[in-house]
Amino acid sequence: MKYQSQAVAKPYFVAAIILFVAQILFGLILGLQYVVGDFLFPEIPFNVARMVHTNALIVWLLFGFMGATYYLVPEEAETELYAPWLARLMFWIFLAAAGATVAGYLLVPYATLAEITMNNLFPTMGREFLEQPTITKIGIVIVALAFLFNVGMTVLKGRKTVVNLVLLLGLVGLAVFFLFSFYVPDNLVLDKFYWWWVVHLWVEGVWELILGAILAFVLIKVTGVDREVIEKWLYVIIALALVTGIIGTGHHFYWIGTPEYWQWWGSIFSALEPLPFFMMTVFAFNMINRRRRNHPNKVATLWAMGTAVMAFLGAGVWGFMHTLSPINYYTHGTQITAAHGHMAFYGAYVMIVLTIISYAMPTLRGRTAANSNTSQVLEMWSFWLMTVSMVFITLFLTGAGVLQAYLQRVSEAPESFMVVQEKIALFYWMREVAGVVFLIGLVLYILSFFIGNREPEAVLEPAG
Amino acid sequence: MPRLAHDSPAAGEVAPGQGLAVAAEALYLVNLLLLPGVGFLVLLALYLRNLRVAPPLAVCHLRQTLSASLWAGALLLVANVMILLLGGYHSPYTWMVVIIYFTTCHATLVLLGVMGLAKAMAGQCFRFPLVGRPV
Repeated sequence: MKYQSQAVAKPYFVAAIILFVAQILFGLILGLQYVVGDFLFPEIPFNVARMVHTNALIVWLLFGFMGATYYLVPEEAETELYAPWLARLMFWIFLAAAGATVAGYLLVPYATLAEITMNNLFPTMGREFLEQPTITKIGIVIVALAFLFNVGMTVLKGRKTVVNLVLLLGLVGLAVFFLFSFYVPDNLVLDKFYWWWVVHLWVEGVWELILGAILAFVLIKVTGVDREVIEKWLYVIIALALVTGIIGTGHHFYWIGTPEYWQWWGSIFSALEPLPFFMMTVFAFNMINRRRRNHPNKVATLWAMGTAVMAFLGAGVWGFMHTLSPINYYTHGTQITAAHGHMAFYGAYVMIVLTIISYAMPTLRGRTAANSNTSQVLEMWSFWLMTVSMVFITLFLTGAGVLQAYLQRVSEAPESFMVVQEKIALFYWMREVAGVVFLIGLVLYILSFFIGNREPEAVLEPAG
Repeated sequence: MPRLAHDSPAAGEVAPGQGLAVAAEALYLVNLLLLPGVGFLVLLALYLRNLRVAPPLAVCHLRQTLSASLWAGALLLVANVMILLLGGYHSPYTWMVVIIYFTTCHATLVLLGVMGLAKAMAGQCFRFPLVGRPV
């Protein structure tokens, strides 16, 4: 660790991993509720489990992004963080807000939570992924502002690199688009329209900048390739991400009551959305091939390559599968969407956060550059278990989705939703088994932090 | 001695035949992603024209991409036609198998092409696993 203030990243990473565990546990509960409808009912109803599953994902990724930022910005800017105390304070505020919100979801009915938190004064609750009480949303804005101030001041006083600036641009975008979660018009079309400005423009817009910046930072460190080369790739990737992703929002507007031209705009631009992910894969493999050193943290390199591949598959290929309007007419809201969502979130954002954690944690825990070989081997097992099981989760959900679309919508004698759900139950069972394997991978991942700590760390080798 | 296999050129240096190697990998991807058939014909022309005169790096990529393209054609076309013929057009399970097979197979072939392209850009030879020719 080059700068003392980078240490503030550690609690963010720890909180991220704890919430990751919560997300997966609730995912397993949800998966089981698909096939055993009254499992844990009425203690944890399906809608509550789903809220915790998706909200925990978003919050732990935000913790991960913040930790990544606090780790890499001082190193890139070649200066200490502007206000480490502010970063630590915001960590506890954010954690308290996240914990209280999840407790609220679990302990009282959602309507009661809305009442307790006085949602009627400024109603923002009730929308998918943005279910948080208004007071929590205000807390998120305060944390985000303090975070941006801290990071912005650090960048201003230090060296300005492309990685830092792209990251900052992504983070500012993240904060700005979150503000649309406070805009809840009465008109349902407008409500959906602007809701996507948060959801889509996060994951298929500004988050891609954050992903690109973190990936570029790790690749600079582990490959030793010239910064200028990596920066040029980064420019192209983020330009493609924004050009395709912003108007690509249109693929969410097909069936919500917007004008017909969105069928064309959405189809054309979102069909191009795999391009930045394609470029990212070429970029990552090219940099690894041109590496000037073999970094001892091999598992971080593995996560970085895995991110590029899985993001391309999940966000690119599985997104393209159902993004064209005539296809989406049949597949909209089926398990194909769930298949895409799972692999895209895992490939693009879960893996990039695990990449930076894998790269940064050894130094944050006092090592020079890497964990011991034993620890790294265990982490590699966790990489493969989680990644392969996610591939299977995606394939099972895709199978379920294709059948669902056919039986429910394409067939000359369409069947009802619940009848079709019965017919695809086998896929849900297989998805659940794959989910258990994913959990085993996650357990190994956590164990890798505690095993091999007394062994010497892996050593740096010259490039072969 | 000509450069081959896993030697990477130094930064800024271009290995002999690197342009041709990149073109071969790009055409392989064009065939899969943009212009099926057309990409293959151009790749075939490039292969026939340069095989005997090109540097080893280019020959490696030309051979690999041609072999992989032929396998890709077989895997994507023949196998899909077989599945459709055996399962019939009106079974939902046929479509489920076809869509999953096509997507996974096609995505895998594209990923192999991406790896090949990255290797070509780094001035290294690359053997496509399973669908490539022995180096």
